[in-house]
Amino acid sequence: MTALDSDAKSAIGSLPTKAAPVIVVDDVSKRFRLYRERANSLKETLTVRRGRRSRFDDFWALRDVSLSIPKGSTYGLIGHNGSGKSTLLRLMAGIHPPTTGHVMTEGRVSALLELGAGFHPELSGRENVYLNGSILGLTRREVNAVLGDIIEFSGLQDFIDSPVKHYSSGMYVRLGFAIAVHVKPDIVMIDEVIAVGDEEFQRRCLEHLFKLRRSGVTIVMVSHGAALMEQMCDEISWLDHGRLQKSGPSREVVRSYLDVVNAAENERRGGQPERDGRAGGPQTRRWGTREVEILDFELLDPSGNRLEAGATGDPLTIRVKYRARQEVRDPVFALGFYTEGGVNVSGPNTRFSRAVTGTIHGDGHVDYVMDRLVLMPGLWRLSIAVLDETMMHTYDQIEQVFEFHVQPGSSVERFGLADPKGRWRLSGE
Amino acid sequence: MALTTDLWTYRGLIGNLAQRALKARYKRSILGWAWSLINPFTTLVTYAIVFGTFLKVQPPVAGNGDLKNFALYLFAALVVWNFWMAVENGSMGSLIGAGPLLRKVYFPPECPVVASLLVALSQTAIETGILVAIMVIVHNVSWTFVFVPLIIALLVLFSLGVGLVLSLVNVYYRDVQYLVQVGMNVLFYATPIVYPLALVENNAPAPIALAVRLNPMTQFVGAMRDAVYNLQAPSAGHLAYLAVVSIGTAAIGWGLFRRFAGRVSEEL
Repeated sequence: MTALDSDAKSAIGSLPTKAAPVIVVDDVSKRFRLYRERANSLKETLTVRRGRRSRFDDFWALRDVSLSIPKGSTYGLIGHNGSGKSTLLRLMAGIHPPTTGHVMTEGRVSALLELGAGFHPELSGRENVYLNGSILGLTRREVNAVLGDIIEFSGLQDFIDSPVKHYSSGMYVRLGFAIAVHVKPDIVMIDEVIAVGDEEFQRRCLEHLFKLRRSGVTIVMVSHGAALMEQMCDEISWLDHGRLQKSGPSREVVRSYLDVVNAAENERRGGQPERDGRAGGPQTRRWGTREVEILDFELLDPSGNRLEAGATGDPLTIRVKYRARQEVRDPVFALGFYTEGGVNVSGPNTRFSRAVTGTIHGDGHVDYVMDRLVLMPGLWRLSIAVLDETMMHTYDQIEQVFEFHVQPGSSVERFGLADPKGRWRLSGE
Repeated sequence: MALTTDLWTYRGLIGNLAQRALKARYKRSILGWAWSLINPFTTLVTYAIVFGTFLKVQPPVAGNGDLKNFALYLFAALVVWNFWMAVENGSMGSLIGAGPLLRKVYFPPECPVVASLLVALSQTAIETGILVAIMVIVHNVSWTFVFVPLIIALLVLFSLGVGLVLSLVNVYYRDVQYLVQVGMNVLFYATPIVYPLALVENNAPAPIALAVRLNPMTQFVGAMRDAVYNLQAPSAGHLAYLAVVSIGTAAIGWGLFRRFAGRVSEEL
């Protein structure tokens, strides 16, 4: 544990969070020196000392970042590549010292920053467990106590005594993750690494992280995957070019982050950022080359009458109106159903359903007919897209702008996002 | 002191790093561990033939009154010198070698240096054991053997102090390792290893003789020869000099290392 100085203490005092922070980053800046021509020899240093420009450029990876992470929370750092999020994590892990400011952490930090960090290729998996455990500050006895769990979690029982140089990258990450979460850490730091394993292992990792979280372990994650972060984290800090853009509850921060990411994407694709009045959504996220343009959408009942809202369990047709400015062959129409929080619940399209759209020209519409609406009551956002037949090229795409309400209908369900339409069968029947 | 508790916390890591180095060292070699003895043995035989037989360097008569063997006289010094060499080279290599690790996880950067010292120490323990065993066989035995662990302990501190500084500077300027090679060659002959100290004192001008005498390695070699060959207790002054130099070097070396090692993970 590093000592708190008076500045850091006052920073904690003013924080709104209830739990005491276990990590405090207080006005931290980090400068890296990028050597133009690395002087790795004494002679150069001695001779080039005076009267010359410095041999390195200063690069500020972080500038004036302050945040505090409450005990037991799951905290995310989000941002694009080069935003400084990984640097910040390294500072928290104590690998690099800050150039100015202070970083305070409390308790044992177990950081999983890179695939197989600290593995020695010539040694066996088992020997590497001891090596890694000791890097995290454990004694041999402490490692012995968790060795069985680690091997079991990694699923590498058959390979644990082979040299790790024969391991696949998936096996590396499984062993690495298994060690990192079993060494009884107070704080776990994870930098994108779990994305490497297969689906099943990723799920187990997430499950285990939830378990750790319940037992009061503080988790700090770095990712640019917004959906996972929103799902996992209580709070998120968003970094851009080394500066803190926003900190707060994960949903809010992720939304602001996505707004900017999509706006940038839009600009990159040459589309004009614009506002769409229809749903009063945050900021229009629309791009595409507009050979086909999405005009509007309507909710209809089976007889074609317009509806103001859908109802769970009742029929609903979504009609997408388009205008094809030229002849377009076999376009693909796609919908995306999103919760208010941005979770994509479903994304049907004409291609997967093998619906033939033929050649279109001029104004027209396509209908997506649902016999029974499975979405639960609430506010839903709709994404609509028109793509070419390969789905590689976008004519027009409008992301999560159209909104519609779903009201309670004939469905008896009350919880969750969707009514799966199942039925119960008891053993006596 | 935060430093020592930090190191104590990471004792498992130091042990593991040392073990890792030992295990990986002779992997895939047929003779394996035998190499760790073949190497110093060859040096010993070569020097014994060149300096003892060809150049007829005269060793003093050993403590038991009748032994007069240049090879054993040389061996006592080489044990000290080999350790010193191994620590200095090992510490420079170990910190560079730990680079990939230090960039990904936090641990005190002196851990790999201390671990490489432990590796060297294990080798020295074997060599010292053989030296003592031979002395027993040739009946050159005395209570002065008890000074051997003390001398080695002081040598550990001295070598570590220098090794920490060298390893750190070497991260920033890689030509330090070549400089050290050159320096080690000079120092080898500036230390009475292949010749007795008396030879310098009788033949060299006073300032050179004084420089050779003040060389800490001269004193380490001398103390070791006193303890196992001459069977004399090193004088109190002699030991005091070694203690001051060793503890001083260790303290300064460690201080400098601590002061400048913070950014080492960025430079590796």
